[in-house]
Amino acid sequence: MSALSKLKEAYLCLKAGRVTLPYPARPQPVPPRFRGRPIFDANRCIGCAGCANNCPAREILVFDVCQEIRILKYLGRRCTYCGRCADLCPEKAITMSKDFETATPSIADLQQTLELFMSTCQRCGRCFKEPTPLEQLKLKGYRFDDLAHDRWIFRSKAYLEKDQVAGDIDLELD
Amino acid sequence: MASRDILHQLKQRFGAALPRANVAGLDRLYVFVTPEALKDVCQFIFRDLDARYIISIGADDRPYSGKFLVAHNFAFDARHVLCSVLTEVNANGGRPQVPSITEVVPPANWAEREFRDLVGIEPVGHRYPKRLVLPDGWPEGVHPLRKDVPHDFCPPDYDENRDFQFEAPPEGCVVVPFGPFHPTLDEPTHFRLYVEGETVRGCEYRGFMAHRGIEKLAETVLGYNDIPMMAERICGICGCVHNVAYAQAVENAAAIVVPPRAEYIRTIMLELERLHSHLLWVGLACHIVGFDTLFMQAFRIREPVMWMAEQISGNRKTYSLCVIGGVRWEITPELRTGLRQVLDKLEAEWQAVVAAVSRDRNLQRRTRGVGIATPELVKNAALIGPVARAAGVAMDCRRDHPYAAYDRVEFEVIVEHGGDVWSRVVVRMKEVFESIKIIRQCLDKMEPGPLQAEIKDELPPGRFGMSSVEAPRGESHHFVITGENNRPRRWRVRAPTYQNLQGIPAMIKDQQLADMTISLGSIDPCFSCTDRLEVVDIRNQQTHVWSQEELVRLARRKT
Repeated sequence: MSALSKLKEAYLCLKAGRVTLPYPARPQPVPPRFRGRPIFDANRCIGCAGCANNCPAREILVFDVCQEIRILKYLGRRCTYCGRCADLCPEKAITMSKDFETATPSIADLQQTLELFMSTCQRCGRCFKEPTPLEQLKLKGYRFDDLAHDRWIFRSKAYLEKDQVAGDIDLELD
Repeated sequence: MASRDILHQLKQRFGAALPRANVAGLDRLYVFVTPEALKDVCQFIFRDLDARYIISIGADDRPYSGKFLVAHNFAFDARHVLCSVLTEVNANGGRPQVPSITEVVPPANWAEREFRDLVGIEPVGHRYPKRLVLPDGWPEGVHPLRKDVPHDFCPPDYDENRDFQFEAPPEGCVVVPFGPFHPTLDEPTHFRLYVEGETVRGCEYRGFMAHRGIEKLAETVLGYNDIPMMAERICGICGCVHNVAYAQAVENAAAIVVPPRAEYIRTIMLELERLHSHLLWVGLACHIVGFDTLFMQAFRIREPVMWMAEQISGNRKTYSLCVIGGVRWEITPELRTGLRQVLDKLEAEWQAVVAAVSRDRNLQRRTRGVGIATPELVKNAALIGPVARAAGVAMDCRRDHPYAAYDRVEFEVIVEHGGDVWSRVVVRMKEVFESIKIIRQCLDKMEPGPLQAEIKDELPPGRFGMSSVEAPRGESHHFVITGENNRPRRWRVRAPTYQNLQGIPAMIKDQQLADMTISLGSIDPCFSCTDRLEVVDIRNQQTHVWSQEELVRLARRKT
């Protein structure tokens, strides 16, 4: 019966009533797991480049401008907000914010550039993030009276072997 | 053991032509065949053993074995086996040749044309060796999926303004272009319809206008765990399907066991996706035939499902669910109760809609007897999903090749026998209830445990993996050869529309031109898309592309 089904359809519409949300006028709260634009925290970032290596959209660039400064740049062009960077960050320096209204005429509004001051390993010349483990101890109030001169070997497992450090100060900092 | 039986049968028939085979478990079979015997073996599998054709893969294996690789994948639905017939083809100085199987296996048509374009393996004896994927301005002899071509390579003599070459229409017919931009077509694709009066006599298809080269990216740039997020962007609706299918293919290749809780969560998300996709499709189909009431109602009912998905995974559509060996999102007890409430409400509301629509004569007059796919067409064009089920062919990967937790839940495979668009509407409407049933069972049976398997070693290179996942619109098939540098050596995605589109010329033949849109819409086509607004002033022939700023201003201006 077609007439009956038309009546049923009319009833469906009447019962539903108005369902449109007054969205831009009254913003809806987003669910707790919502992933919006990632925000990078320069204070916690150690410049390990884990986010850059694991970004599916390849939106995060890490490069060294000199031995002391490492630049981490989030480009924000085609980021898919998958949240892999935030998952993988060992220091939890990346948070997926609730910020989803990212329409903007200039891409620079979305971009973020971190300048990280790194220390230089005196052995291999690679840079790594300050403060070093030793300086962290210093900041906490430990004293290294016997290390009068500043020439300590920073911990850098990838490049230093234990027996190569003969003559230098052997530090175990874990 | 089913896969061993099949291998035994093949060996009895073609003893010397099978140099080696790999029985990778009960449900996977990899058979290497000499190129000379390829056609006979495929014919035997497709016709005598009554297997279903899935896809053909061409791969450049020169850096590892010095040869090219061609694989034809088949599925033995009744015996629950996925089988791959592999051939190693001599490089022949960069011009490899393989015998074409389209004569005996007609659905291999597009796949062979595709590896001819992208890998440069010539299918000898193909009846219509025309370009499929590459644009006509692309120079001869450059094949993007070869290993020596970088992923961002654009040949210097590429002429992007060159027009496509089309065949001449048959006599007495006029050409009606349909697409790339058409009011009822969501995404760019071009059908060149040959119309006699109001009747469609044939068509030529030209698609792949938004080819994004995701497979190439995966083989050269991304890592194993980046690809799931990228695979999700293959399709706007069955994203999670590709995500799960890729992860399963790699797990299948590397023999990683996924924890049961992760399997249940995958099943729940896949079924959530089927729910919202079917609701969306029923709405869109009604919209295409001009019945917007149901379009609105279907979308209203769909919305809570999207909100639920957002609560579970943090996003309405792109769930970023899988990594190799598990899932990322946990379903907490609060989410579980929320999901149950959504399902209860959805079931009641959808029942009301089905009761109202199932007798609607206007809708039936537009859809009955339109776009008919017969069981023969299903076999010969390898149609899948609701299109096949509406034609009376009961195939469903969830039942035939169980993955995730589908072997632990009970559900029915909905089959209709009309073969027309109306049957597809009915199949999809009824499948919504099956999905609700599956999610409820999963919520009951979900066991505690870890979300991800621990993977300690590197994934072994050179292994094959296959995975079929039932997407809302058909079966998605992923084929992976694992490789070095933390990324696959070859990854081939067969989305369901790839096969279903090949059945469209037969479905629309000798039909009214006005039925073309709903016939095409009934397979739920999904051409990947990118779009922008361009305004053409017809008085002075000037075009103007609107910038985002202008669009925003335009949208905010009060009308």
